[in-house]
Amino acid sequence: MESPDVRSDEPDDRAMNSAVSTLEAELLANDAQAVPTSLDAFLAQVERRAFRLAEMSLGHREDAMDAVQDAMLRLVRNYRDKPAQEWTPLFWGILRRRIVDLQRRRKVRSIVVGWLGGGRDDDGDELPAWEPADNGPGPLDRLQDSQSYEDMAAAVRKLPRRQQEAFMLRVLEGLDVAETAQAMGCSEGSVKTHLSRAMHNLRDQLEDWR
Amino acid sequence: MNAPDNLERRARELYREASRRIDPATAGRLRAARREALAAAAAPAHLRFARMLVPAGAFAAIAVAALMVFSPRDSAPVQAPGATQTVEATDGDLPPDLGNTDPSLMQNLDFYDWLATNDSSQASR
Repeated sequence: MESPDVRSDEPDDRAMNSAVSTLEAELLANDAQAVPTSLDAFLAQVERRAFRLAEMSLGHREDAMDAVQDAMLRLVRNYRDKPAQEWTPLFWGILRRRIVDLQRRRKVRSIVVGWLGGGRDDDGDELPAWEPADNGPGPLDRLQDSQSYEDMAAAVRKLPRRQQEAFMLRVLEGLDVAETAQAMGCSEGSVKTHLSRAMHNLRDQLEDWR
Repeated sequence: MNAPDNLERRARELYREASRRIDPATAGRLRAARREALAAAAAPAHLRFARMLVPAGAFAAIAVAALMVFSPRDSAPVQAPGATQTVEATDGDLPPDLGNTDPSLMQNLDFYDWLATNDSSQASR
């Protein structure tokens, strides 16, 4: 079901990936984090970021929690004997697939609600697509930084799925191209192209960030 | 363009900050989920196998119940061919297949009994 590989033929691909690599190097120098030696330590390191990433994709806290919980369980159950260096792309790959599963399930639920007549109100006007209730804190509770984060999350959510994944794994999570390709199940060229398009779209949406 | 632009840097900073700023309840649930995942993997293999047996047993019970509910009740009991022949030989007055006999023949059994008795008494004279 993955989208077919696309050729990395956009002119700013090289510049884009060079910029991301520079950022990556800076962050690595700052963090200087060793690879965790136990799965417990690894999961403790990534669990909060995984939650934020899932929440950004799904727009729903409970679904995000389910996705992260399931990804942790699958990683531990199926890949605990793998070398620690492989946990990172494996974990993000599992989480990515769980997110896609949940998005598809939600789409099916929305269609079923439509079939049962829930898609239209009494006047026959179409209602918005079914979305589960989110009991998270409202916008008024958020600080200015949080608002900026929400703006970014909303912009990322508008991206096509593959661009979303490339941006989140490569820019936000800081995976290298090979790890991102492994987690996304596509070629490295595709990662570069999806990322380039994602950045182009985000720059259009978040103009005041320049 | 070669240097990381404001968007990339800010996006990653906000993401890291938001991850650090997760509320205590959610952080607690994440910790609990991690421990649960590690505990589930640490469980002995026979316990995991036993957990798989529960749904399999439930499925088997449902299948048996469905068979009992939907099996035909009025079907003739299965008998060995020899046994059928014995019954037919010893009690030739009964119809061979009760299930397929015309129900009207079964209404006046007393009359047929009287007829048979009279018939046998006349024959003995």
